Amino acid sequence: MAESPLYVGIDLGTTNSAAAVFDGEHVSVVRNSLGASVTPSVVRVDKQGRITVGTRARRFIEQDPANTAAEFKRLMGTGRAIDFPAAGKQLKPEQLSAEVLKALRQDIQDQLGVAVERAVISVPALFELPQSAATSEAARLAGFARVELLQEPIASALAAGWRADDDGGGTWLVFDLGGGTFDASLLETRDGLLRVVGHDGDNFLGGRDFDWVITEHLASQLAVVPSRNNPDHTSALRALRLAAEDAKIELSRGDRAQVTLAQPLVVDGQDVEVDLELTRATIERLCTPLVDRALEVCLRLMQGNGLVPGKLAKVVLVGGPTVMPIVRQRVAAKLEATIALGHDPMTLVAQGAALYAATASLDGRAASQTPMTGRQVWLQYPAVSSDLTPHVVGKFIGEGAPAKIKLVRNDGAWSSPEAPIAADGTFIMSVTLLARRACTFELVATAQDGERVAVSPPALTIVQGLTIGDPPLSRTLGVALANGHVQVYLERGAPLPARRTFTHHTVETVARGSKESVLRIPIVQGEMDQAHLCRLVGTLDIGGDGVRDTVPTGSAVEVTIELDRGGRLSARALVPAIDQVFEHVAHLLVPDASPESLDSAIGDLRRQLMDLRTDAFRNGLTQMIEKLDHLEARLSEAERDIDAAHGGDADAAQRARRALLDVDGTMADAHLARKWPELESEARSLAIGATSTVGLHGSDAERVLLQEVLAAMERARGEKDAAELERQMRLARRLSSAAFNRTAEAWEWYFDDAASEVSRTTDLPRAQKLVAEGKKAVDKGDTESLRKIVKELWALLPEDSEARKRGFESGVR
Amino acid sequence: MTTLAENPFLVLGLSVDTKRIEIEREAQKLLGMLELGFAAVKSYATPLGPRERTAEAVRAAVAALRDPYQRLVAEVWARHAPAPIETAPQVAPAPPAETHPGARRTFGWRP
Repeated sequence: MAESPLYVGIDLGTTNSAAAVFDGEHVSVVRNSLGASVTPSVVRVDKQGRITVGTRARRFIEQDPANTAAEFKRLMGTGRAIDFPAAGKQLKPEQLSAEVLKALRQDIQDQLGVAVERAVISVPALFELPQSAATSEAARLAGFARVELLQEPIASALAAGWRADDDGGGTWLVFDLGGGTFDASLLETRDGLLRVVGHDGDNFLGGRDFDWVITEHLASQLAVVPSRNNPDHTSALRALRLAAEDAKIELSRGDRAQVTLAQPLVVDGQDVEVDLELTRATIERLCTPLVDRALEVCLRLMQGNGLVPGKLAKVVLVGGPTVMPIVRQRVAAKLEATIALGHDPMTLVAQGAALYAATASLDGRAASQTPMTGRQVWLQYPAVSSDLTPHVVGKFIGEGAPAKIKLVRNDGAWSSPEAPIAADGTFIMSVTLLARRACTFELVATAQDGERVAVSPPALTIVQGLTIGDPPLSRTLGVALANGHVQVYLERGAPLPARRTFTHHTVETVARGSKESVLRIPIVQGEMDQAHLCRLVGTLDIGGDGVRDTVPTGSAVEVTIELDRGGRLSARALVPAIDQVFEHVAHLLVPDASPESLDSAIGDLRRQLMDLRTDAFRNGLTQMIEKLDHLEARLSEAERDIDAAHGGDADAAQRARRALLDVDGTMADAHLARKWPELESEARSLAIGATSTVGLHGSDAERVLLQEVLAAMERARGEKDAAELERQMRLARRLSSAAFNRTAEAWEWYFDDAASEVSRTTDLPRAQKLVAEGKKAVDKGDTESLRKIVKELWALLPEDSEARKRGFESGVR
Repeated sequence: MTTLAENPFLVLGLSVDTKRIEIEREAQKLLGMLELGFAAVKSYATPLGPRERTAEAVRAAVAALRDPYQRLVAEVWARHAPAPIETAPQVAPAPPAETHPGARRTFGWRP
């Protein structure tokens, strides 16, 4: 293995985990010490403090549930520790995940003899930033020096697309039903490049829901019925659920299964015997509504992309529950599509992660194993290329670089022409690859006298195959401002890694040495303009006890937000006035979901829902009523989870929290739709205003583009899509003001407007002085000075306290 | 929507009829050259004068051109844009709009 690369991918799943490796040509799944391709994500700590992972630990779920933890992935990022009373230990979810990762890392070492240090780990598409940070931490604890995170649907898509022999195009769907989440992704491959056309999902639908409906069905047939919201029934239900899970797997092949427990269950102090029969027909009847829920998501996604059933090239199934015949049958029937064969639904994600590790040039082995000999050269080339003739760019380090260089492919059938090396040691060449193969090229450098020069590294390897663009950012990221709005830094879909800097101004003074004086820069994620409708994901605080000097109101703050390929966030603020940088971002934990706070949140949402419903009925908004019915159903589901949370199920509590967050987001859309008449009239006046401004002052390109935007606004109006209409209106405003700002009158107009508010400014004498200077600038026609004056005046206008509250107490504008 | 100076075709230094695979190839080359500090690619010409070419801008440009709709918009802009200026204009270009948060607010967009 020493010569070929070793790319490692890990699927750290809720129920099961798997690892795969890619050597540049073949992907193989790593088997664990028991010979299995998947390892249950279960950890047990015995009374001596010894840790067991996987199948061996899973056997103890029933016998010793208190010291055996499963499904801790759902608690990642919550900071909530899990008790192991026998050993008197408490472990955080990331520590438990680290144990699973250590076990997989050991399996790789046992099988391949390499202690890998770098890998790609998959995470759910809608993982929040704290959850991603916890996953990275787990990898660090497991001994990985560097990891990249990859969204699960992209991983499965990459693996499914890689194996596709035909590049015949067409759109296809990845149906990924995991232990706890469902993801649907529409993809297309063209010219060897995989593109995610669209993605949708249900964060609250997975294999465990299938297990629960079967468990509840079994429970209902017992002499004494155990209930999910009674903490005393937890152990009985757990035993029943494990039996339900086994029966479900058995019924994937047979027609009947016997559910028998060796020990009677104890429910309310009574022994309850379990000896029930379950048929495939029964579980199909029970599970059909759940499968249909997943199919609704698929149909919605297809419709949004102009596809109807029968138009998909194929469907790839991913995840353990898709092994159930009912899932395969209904998916094929409802989507009128062929199910792609030859993919292992249990390990496809890990395989995709391994392939992606190659794309990201993340060789799993330790950085350097061989000593450097010869002239050192830095090389830049794609580790995986869909292009058959990619470029190789290089630079020799130090003085006296060789004169010429050529690349020789290791099969001897191709070599590049000899290229000159520039005086600064740089060169650019093109290489020819073999389709779907890993090609190694030897670097042959020669000195001026034609003598061969040893080069380090002596060779490079490029794999020809399917590639995927940079991962897109799943949710828009920005900074909440003191006026309650959001300054968008990175839009949804922006390719990662990404970095952006904006200059803000402080709205209050940070007094040097004062602990109470803290300027807050809240970082939020979400698609809404208003900060309070987005999620706070971190804060950057500039405290009085940390500043070199007092930072007065109106000081400039340059904020930079950066996300790496895995979506990990870092931010820094530079305050030029005191020449100091602040970098510590307080990463928020996923909020703790106490049953009481969930009760209050659901009560509030129900009230809002009732208001919206009354309104929708009054205005005859049929579509809206349908949407609200769907929300009502989601709330009822969340209610069941909250019941379970009262029974001590922390996982159900987190599920409920996320469901409520989701409903809250959809409700915000509904509120927006409620403003429809106002929005529509605003859109009309904007269209008139923008047409006249851009017509008078805009460039040709701006006029053409405005036509496009106006057409899109019209479409959104026709479809009554409030969010899309708002988005297009933003574009129209940008075009209009870009044209307006080019005119000389623009700054005079801004000046008049700002001068009329002079009495509200925080520093009246200064503002009055600025107004006097501004008047002179107007008289002289000095637009440049006027622009500066207007900017200063704006900085002196206060933000109102209500708006600041909505902006997470932001200290910047 | 990007500004005139951030047009993906300008960032990559390509014409609007460049094929997709050629765009990918050029972007990959530019990223490699930027990483190794090739002086020749550190800036690109725009109608508003030269702009700094960063790895982020190249990645964003190639991502935009992969999306059929965004490519169409970029083509419209590029076809109608005035000729790029290779050297810096005598008068400094206007600072980017984000340094005037109030202006954005006045127009009602995200400040």
